[in-house]
Amino acid sequence: MTDYACQRTPESRALVPPLPVAVFFALAAAMASLLWGAGPVGPLEAWQVLTGSGGDEARFVVMELRLPRMATAMATGLALAVAGALLQALTRNPLAEPGLLGVSGGSAFAVTLAILLGASSATMTTLVAQAGALAGCSLVMLATRSRGLAADPVRLVLAGATVTGLLLSLTSVMMLADQRAADEIRFWITGSIAGTSLADLVAVLPSMALAGVLVVIVASPLAALSLGERAAMGLGHRPGRIRALVVVSVALLVGGATALAGPLVFAGLVVPFIARALAGPDIRKTLRLCLPIGPGMILVADTLARVIGAPAELPLGVITAMLGAPVLLIIVRSGRIPTL
Amino acid sequence: MSELLIQHRNIAANLVLAATLSLAMAMALALGTVSVPLDGLWDALLGQGNAMHRFVVQELRLPRVLAGALTGAAFALAGCLMQTVARNRLATPGIIGIDNAATAFAVASVVGTGISLAPSAMALGGAATATALAFGLAGANGTRGYRFIIAGLGIGAIAGATTQVMLSRVAIDAANAAFPWTVGSLNARSATAVSVLAVGLVTGWIAALLLGPSLNTLQFSDPVAINLGTQLKRVRTLSLACAVLLTGLAVAVAGPVGMIALLAPELARALSRPGRVPLTASALAGAGFMVTADLAGRLLLAPLELPVGLITAIVGAPYLIWILVKPSSRSLT
Amino acid sequence: MQTSLIHRVRQGLAAGLAMLAISQNALAETRTIETLYGDVIVEGQPERVVTLYEGALDSAIAVGVQPVGAIITRGGQHVAGYIREAAGDIAIVGAPGETNLEAVLALQPDLILATRQTSRDQYELLSQMAPTIVLDVPMFRQDTWKQELAGFARALGREGQANDVIARVGQRAKEVRKKVTGSIPEQQRDTALVRWMPQGPLVMSENLFSATVLASAGFEVEDGDIVKEGRPHSQPLSQENLSLMDQEWIFLATINDDGREALDAARQSPAFKRLKAHSDDRVVPVDGHLWTSASGPLAALAILDDIENALSQQP
Repeated sequence: MTDYACQRTPESRALVPPLPVAVFFALAAAMASLLWGAGPVGPLEAWQVLTGSGGDEARFVVMELRLPRMATAMATGLALAVAGALLQALTRNPLAEPGLLGVSGGSAFAVTLAILLGASSATMTTLVAQAGALAGCSLVMLATRSRGLAADPVRLVLAGATVTGLLLSLTSVMMLADQRAADEIRFWITGSIAGTSLADLVAVLPSMALAGVLVVIVASPLAALSLGERAAMGLGHRPGRIRALVVVSVALLVGGATALAGPLVFAGLVVPFIARALAGPDIRKTLRLCLPIGPGMILVADTLARVIGAPAELPLGVITAMLGAPVLLIIVRSGRIPTL
Repeated sequence: MSELLIQHRNIAANLVLAATLSLAMAMALALGTVSVPLDGLWDALLGQGNAMHRFVVQELRLPRVLAGALTGAAFALAGCLMQTVARNRLATPGIIGIDNAATAFAVASVVGTGISLAPSAMALGGAATATALAFGLAGANGTRGYRFIIAGLGIGAIAGATTQVMLSRVAIDAANAAFPWTVGSLNARSATAVSVLAVGLVTGWIAALLLGPSLNTLQFSDPVAINLGTQLKRVRTLSLACAVLLTGLAVAVAGPVGMIALLAPELARALSRPGRVPLTASALAGAGFMVTADLAGRLLLAPLELPVGLITAIVGAPYLIWILVKPSSRSLT
Repeated sequence: MQTSLIHRVRQGLAAGLAMLAISQNALAETRTIETLYGDVIVEGQPERVVTLYEGALDSAIAVGVQPVGAIITRGGQHVAGYIREAAGDIAIVGAPGETNLEAVLALQPDLILATRQTSRDQYELLSQMAPTIVLDVPMFRQDTWKQELAGFARALGREGQANDVIARVGQRAKEVRKKVTGSIPEQQRDTALVRWMPQGPLVMSENLFSATVLASAGFEVEDGDIVKEGRPHSQPLSQENLSLMDQEWIFLATINDDGREALDAARQSPAFKRLKAHSDDRVVPVDGHLWTSASGPLAALAILDDIENALSQQP
């Protein structure tokens, strides 16, 4: 199979350096998420709060509601973008996305099960979500070993979609078994970071940091692996170990993000797609660009979720799905995926 | 001689599946909260004997069993067609968003967004819309498999998200009322939708049988199929249209019952003669599977009923995982 | 407390019933009930009644009829807690929206009281088992439960008792109202009825059954116009907009057995801590099955009991 990313030589790179632009985008999105919301506190008042004045109500909304939410959105976006880029590099499939491949689904399923069994602490949820993501991710990797799937990106995605659909049905089974928990799950499963507290974020951060270390370790070997298994071995890397490390990182990241925000589809598809378009084929450069673009995208999506639905809010997962589905179509129409 | 044996194997497979289906239907007619003895069952079917048994069998169970058999057959036949066209055993109508869109439309009508059409009519509209969009977005190469599938995936994701918004934003009572539409249930099916499905299934089945010889050649690569005289584009378009019609009509009756489109053709392929697309066998297997699953849903937690879609999901889960991780897994041949 | 009150009502009814029984039977020979699906004729005194709607179960028991079958309350495993004891040894025939028709038939009903959401297909089947009443009463109005009670009681041949029960509920509301107006100054009677979700509160409509009962007890229920016209139940609200539900009182419906648990969860939230009702200790956790799902006279009495209880726990 040809490396899909090799064929794209980004011309934009010569004109504007992508990394500063991406960082600027992320900062602007972060600022927007503080200034705009579902409530009566508008940009002007919020700005006053940020510059040290402003009313008590506005201060509360900006500092206690929007600020933690901004932090959560950034962590979620970062995790999903990096996880998506890693999975795509590992499977050499531009459609490999945690949401589409059933990794988020596995994570969400595990959390649903935990809620049903009465778990409520944030640490517990994180661990369970990561265990579920690991199971989902391992299933994907096992699936790629079977002949038909490894050679064909669309087949892998189909397998993932089938697993995701199945997990959703099983979640319904559990919701039927205990409708009290169902009510809690019903809101969580659509994906949302409304009402997450800093405590939730703190519970997730250690494992995300661990994943960060793993990603730093594995980035160069993974880049070597993209040249082919032989080349990687020639450079002294062990493909099996690289794969295992990537799978664990992806599970930690996706599990953490799911624990925070519920299962979000397409966030891990859109961001690496853009990053790759800007940075070219090197996974290390792609990852570096994902760091600002991922948080930026979730921040934009979350701000939209608040503004569009006011006085209520739309679930974040809906916005990412709406933003992501067109990108999916663009990737498909770009024609770089082998036919079935 | 061996040709004859293989021919016989196909007939035998269909006979075995038909016998299993009949047995499942007989059990579904006999078992339930009100139990009808087997000899009473025959009387009841003929309109004689105990009045209560007659009512239970004729008015309550028979329509439900027929609806189950029809939807199961439709889902399975649609799955078999789509798998063959896409040359992929995982390409089922449910995956590419047809179910999701049908559900979204049906839920919209149930939770009262001011749309007054019946949920089953809405479901059909949703299926048609999703397919039209997938075709449109997939562009000129629409029927050539992968683009269509991925476009469908995207549309399915959007439809699924929309359903979830609706469910999370309405009162829990309305969400409850819409629940069967999200998992698939035969409890409150519309009689009109069932009769429309019956007509559609017969039409679809005949069309599928007519396409059968061409579909058989699709199991080879495109050039070989063309050499064998198959008009690829026409066969693909017709088969997909057929699959969509069947799925839409079936979802309109029972909601998005998962896994049947995946499992039934799988079973049919295992039983039937290799090298031929087991259309009739798939339909029979799907009908039997659906009737059995619905019976299980009625009996397991009686007097409460489990929606049939949950049963098929629970049964399907281990099998799907097995397909995925089996190292020797072959793609559809 | 609440069950004992229902008990008292029922005892009173039973006594009155014995006297009325003869004349009632004479009057109740044949009745024509106007329903959503046309006129339905009910004869005599139905003895095996199946209720496929929580409000119907409540109404039937309130007029002294013991149904033989009912559906579970949504989210529960049995009929709602407040009516469990009064319902006695009742058979379960399904869940809301998922009726087990065979279980209904097995009970050999002579009258079926169903929800307004019953489809025509279902109705046709049910009406072959027994006369089936699907009242054409608009939902989520001030007097929906009274109209439903009247309709169901007429079908049951117990219109007299229905009027008694309505009067009794009115009387009880008056009592509680007196206590409310006696102990709470007028400007402090604004109330919101909500469910607390981690993502933000669900604000219940001021037209919800329990909200109308709250109003009858002297509270001013406000949904801040969040719940739109034609969306009768509830609406989720962003945490940023809590001021829209920042009333003097908050009745917090929970779906857990123990309302305290939900209250504790809500108290964790910084946004919740800013609410007036929270700082004044006027957040009252209440049973969600009763307060957001049930309707009918017995539910009204139980809700009034809850209100009275909440008052007595105020410092």
